[in-house]
This record gives sequence, C-alpha cells and structure tokens, in this order.
Amino acid sequence: MKKLWMVSILCMLIFMTACSNDAANTEESSGDGKTEVIFWHSMSGELENVVQEVADGFNAEQDEITVTPVFQGTYEEAITKFNTVAGTEDAPAIMQTFEVGTKYMIDSGKIQPVQKFIDDEGYDMNQWEKNITNYYSVDDTQYSMPFNSSTPVLIYNKDAFKEAGLDPEKAPETYSEIKEAAKKLTKDDQVGFSILNYGWFIEELIAVQGGLFVDNDNGRSGNAEKAVFNGEEGLKVFELISEMHKEGTFYNTGQNWDDIRAAFQSGKIAMYLDSSAGIRATVDNAPFEVGAGYLPVPDGVDRQGVIIGGASLWMAKDIDEEKQRAAWEFMKYVTTPDVQAQWHLKSGYFSINPAAYDLPVVQEEWEKYPQLKVTVDQLKNTIPSEATQGALISVFPEARQKVVSAMESLYQGVEPKEALDRAAAEIDQSLEAANRKNGSQ
Amino acid sequence: MPSLNMNADPKRPTLRKNRFSLPSLEGWLYVLPSFLLFIIFLFYPMVRTVYLSFFYTDTQGKPLSFAGWENFTTLLSSTSFLTSAKATFLFVLYTVPVGVILALVLALLANQKMKGIGFFRTIFSSTMGMSVAASSVIWMFIYNPSIGIANKILNFFGLADMHFLLDPNTALLSVAIATIWMNTGFTFLILLGGLQNIDSQLYESARIAGVSSYYSFRKITIPMLSPTLFFVLTVTMINSFQSFGQIDILTKGGPTDSTNVIVYSIYKDAFINYNIGSASAQAVILFLCVFILTVIQFKLGERKVHYQ
Repeated sequence: MKKLWMVSILCMLIFMTACSNDAANTEESSGDGKTEVIFWHSMSGELENVVQEVADGFNAEQDEITVTPVFQGTYEEAITKFNTVAGTEDAPAIMQTFEVGTKYMIDSGKIQPVQKFIDDEGYDMNQWEKNITNYYSVDDTQYSMPFNSSTPVLIYNKDAFKEAGLDPEKAPETYSEIKEAAKKLTKDDQVGFSILNYGWFIEELIAVQGGLFVDNDNGRSGNAEKAVFNGEEGLKVFELISEMHKEGTFYNTGQNWDDIRAAFQSGKIAMYLDSSAGIRATVDNAPFEVGAGYLPVPDGVDRQGVIIGGASLWMAKDIDEEKQRAAWEFMKYVTTPDVQAQWHLKSGYFSINPAAYDLPVVQEEWEKYPQLKVTVDQLKNTIPSEATQGALISVFPEARQKVVSAMESLYQGVEPKEALDRAAAEIDQSLEAANRKNGSQ
Repeated sequence: MPSLNMNADPKRPTLRKNRFSLPSLEGWLYVLPSFLLFIIFLFYPMVRTVYLSFFYTDTQGKPLSFAGWENFTTLLSSTSFLTSAKATFLFVLYTVPVGVILALVLALLANQKMKGIGFFRTIFSSTMGMSVAASSVIWMFIYNPSIGIANKILNFFGLADMHFLLDPNTALLSVAIATIWMNTGFTFLILLGGLQNIDSQLYESARIAGVSSYYSFRKITIPMLSPTLFFVLTVTMINSFQSFGQIDILTKGGPTDSTNVIVYSIYKDAFINYNIGSASAQAVILFLCVFILTVIQFKLGERKVHYQ
C-alpha cells in the first residue's frame, strides 16, 4: 500500500509539472511616462526572437514609446483572443492577423484603418511593395500594414534531379514538366511530387492561372456570394493531383507543415510546394542541394503571378489616440529598409520595402541563398489583377477546410469535378449564412 | 440479487425533509466556496450554452436573433454532423473496452508480490504523468509516414508502408490506439488501488478451499473490484467523449472528416468559423448523449456492482 502511495504521489508531481505552463505576461509597466504599445503576434519559435529584436531595436532608438510584443498562439488562437477584448480598453494597440482574416477584421468594425495616419501625415506609400499592399487595400483604403508576407514556391532536391538525369538548374515550370520529372524521380523509396493538404496552395495554383476563387471579382467589388474555384482553372489543379496520385508519383503527406518538410528532408519526396518563409530553414537543414522554382502552371497558360500570403498588422480602434500614434510610429519603423532587410534575411519573409533588397547585407546573403531571390522575383513579376490580389471573404478559414476535405477525397478516388463541386456548394452555403448574418446586424 | 442501495430507497424521503432545516445552514456555508466556483465556471456557462443554441450569433458570440430549433434541425440533417456523431461513438467503442481491459490485465500483473514490482507499477502508470499534448506529439512522430518508427517496424516484417493518420480508414483507429495508451496510466492506477483494497483473507480462504485461480478471480476479484471497475468505466467513457487534444494535434479532424468527433467539430465551429450558435447546439446534443448514456450505465451497470 505504501508503495502505491509513493507511485501515485510521484505521478501527481510529474502530472503537475507537465500541466503548468507560464501564462503570457501582459502586465503594463508604463510608470516611466512612456507610451506602452502592446503588440500581439503569432510568430513562434525562432521568429518570436526576431520579433523581439525588432521591438528592442525600436525601444532603444527613441525614449517616448515602449513596444511589448506578446505571443498569443497561432493566428486562429490569437484572433479568438482578440475577439474577446476587441472594442475595449484592453485591446492590444497592434494585432497581427493572417491574410485570410482580413475581411473578418474589417467587418468586425473594431479596427482603425492605417489609411488615416497615412493621409494625416502625407506618408509616401509608394515605398512599399505594391504587390503586397494590394492585398490589404480594400476600396482604396489601406486597412492594415503588411508585416510578414510570403508566397508559395516549388522546392526540389537537386541531388535527386541529377541522379534521375534531370537538369538540376532548371526547375519544372509547367504541369507536363512536373509530371515528367515526377515520373523519373519516383523510384525505390522516393516519390516525385507532393502538395500539402492546405487550402492556400489551391488558391495560389488557381490564381497563378488568373482564375478567381469567389465571384464579385474575388469579393473585392462586393460581398462574395458564390464560390467559383470549381471552374476550369481549379479543375486543372485537381486533375493534376488526382492523375499523379493514381500514377503513384504524388505523395500524400497530410495537413501538417512539419510532416511534408520532414518527408522532403528524409528524401521521401523530391519536389513539393512550400512557403517562401520556410525556405531558409529548408536549405540549412537539407543534407543535399536544394533548388527553388516558380509555382507551376498548366501547359499553354500565361503565368499571372502569386497572391501574397502571411499576415499584417492591425490597429485597434477603441484605444487612446496617443497609443494609436505610438503604434503608427512603430509600424513606420518596421517598414524602414534596414529593419526589413534584417527581417527578410532572418525569417525568409518578404521585405515590404523593396529598397531593402538593394542593401549590401541582402545582396551578400542572396549570393549564399539564391533560393531567396527566386521568391522575390516571383513576387516582382506578378501582374496585378483581382486574381492575384487574392479573395476577400469572411468565412475563409471555413472555406479552406472544405477545400482540404476535397483534396483528401481525391486520394480516395473521388472524381476531381465532383470533389470541387461539392466543396464549392458547401462554401456557397457558408457564404449565404455569413451574408445573412451581416444583413441582420 | 437486489443491491444494497435499492433497499435504502424507502428511507430517502425522511432524509430529505431535514435537508433545509437550520442546522444544515452551517453545512451550506461550508459548501458555498466550491458552489460559487461551480456556478461561475460550470453552471453559468452551461445555461448560457443552452441559451445561445437557440440563437443566430455574430462573430463575437453575441446573440443576433432568435432561431428557434433551427440550429438543431440544420445539424441533424447535415451529413457532416452525422459523420461526426458516428466518429464519436466509434471512438468511444474503440477506446473504452480495450482501454479498461488492458489496464485491468496490467493491474492484475502488477498486483503480484515480488521483488522489483514497484518498477513495473511506475512504468505502467507513467503515462498518467504525461500531458495529452506531449503524448500526442510522440505519437505523431511514431505515425509519421516518412520518418516514423511504426512504418519502420512494418518494413522490418516485410510489410508495406501504412498511412496511419492520412487514410480515412485507419485514422480514427490510430488516434484511438494513441488514446488508449494515454489513458492506461490513470485507469491502471485506479484499478490497482481497487485490487489492493481487497481483503487478502478472502484469497487465503479460497486457497484453503482449493479453488482454481480463475474461479477466485471470477468470484472474488471481479465482485470486489466492481465498484472501482464501474467508476473507471464511467469516467473513461465520459473522457473518451470529450477527447480533444490528441485529435487537434494528430489529425485536425481529417482526413475527410473521419476523425472529426463532436468535440472537435464544436471547437472548429466556435473558434475557427465563429458560428457560436451552431457550436452551442452541438454542445447541447453532446451533453444530452453523455448524460443519457451515463444514466443508462448507472441503471444497468449498478445492478452488477457489489458494494461492501
């Protein structure tokens, strides 16, 4: 009996230590007359340190404002927390939200468009990368400040290319080239190609062909009412996946970013689509040479470019004017070329300010990591249009789940057309419900 | 055989009469702190959930307009909710019986008196000391199709790779196996405690009478352990209905909704899609299911329970 007690006490101890985790410290410490700016973000791991460095740099540069970054979990978790304090004094001055939350934040009515400060000050917005600011600009109003932006790229194993007799310096650019390369690359334990089961990649593969995701010009000329991604462009994407999966040249790695990266690092897959933000870590970790290329397009289709992914910084509405000013100061600091260069190199996200790319530090790193340059070029070559501006819908997270389900059903042998139509019909319902809600408000 | 508490029934009304008389006021005072906590963190949210389930809500969860039964009727006619319900029941079916039997076998083994048994008791109960998140991450690596050890083992025996969490046919089962592993520690510990409380004299008498060990297991161990077993069954069943962490980490409800159990579907609806009304309705349905099953369990199960 005594022994049992010992065991149970021991277990309790382990259990308690496993459960205790320190809660985020959001205490304000503005006793020294400085304006405190709380900055909620979702940058985990290494990136959290980089965000802290940026804030430290700003705090050291002037003595009026203190910026305190607070990690709030994933984008979804952070937006849920923001939801509960939005519109109160406790709302953070700056809130980082992912790109698909854009419409949601605008509709919430709890945020202050940064356009106000741009106008007040006559701030020159032309120094920002047009292709990035486009996404966060609605009806000619700049709502939020782009912060971390990324695009999808094709990543491939150069060593495997050599072994299969392919040119390692030339990335496949069209669907038929992808298929051909994948066929040659698939042997033994290695499979040619993979795409993460994540809605973003499908959106991008459609946009690069100039296709829209929803009607009303991708929801930019009015509230979206119908999903249109089940058109010709979407069908081509789904047919590619379905055909390659049937041939055995496409490997299903699930929904987890770490899994697809692990599969690539371990040589299980030879080509896959990744976010430009992950590229640097991928190159550093891979035991082989890594190549990067543009997002592939179907044969005979002109490349339209990519939609910007990532997140932007939003300003809360119902807080002191003084705090808003302070937040704006920080936002301006973040977009300076020096900070952007540091951000781009350490994180792999884009620089919002293209001037950063001309700085010697960036040029030197590009020599070492030519893959980073590929991502920047792909974005620069993007042709602005509703397609590449990206869709604007309030039920985006839900829409992405439906698209993921549709992708997953492909691996079960469902016909591409059927899978797409089903997902589109479900998203139509969600859109209708969301519009009804907005109408009754 | 009528159980003891049934005999106690006729006495209850006399007890009830005295419940609110003055002397018990002091008792209420003692209960007050925990009662307050219950009200704030349990009863109020529960009532609020039921309330919200009858409304259309905005994204912040504020009720917009009365929806009547619509949240419920939409749910019950939607295929995705029915898939969720099916996944939930299958999940409970996979995890509860196997989990309890496994823990019982381990507890019987660890109940022997021999040198070094403390080591095994610690090992068997060790999963209790791990958070769901940590154990899920371990299983995520085990199941990883390209680098996971599960496939390495299969390959060693000349079998083909399996997509444990990526194939809708095996995903739920794979999550269930991980869950059984996670729950074993707790169940084991409770059952071992129950076994140790059985009077050793009973076994001694049985040995003198010369009955087989199977017979003494059936006639002594099981009846004497029945209150503990009953408790463990009820608790693991409710736990199983409420499993969330492992699903969030391992599958996120996929592939093709095959592991989208009701709790996960509530989470997705409330915190990703911001349909608080529909999520509340699902929570109410889940509550009713668990409630009804627990009542049935008490009605049927308790008859077989032997209280000393």
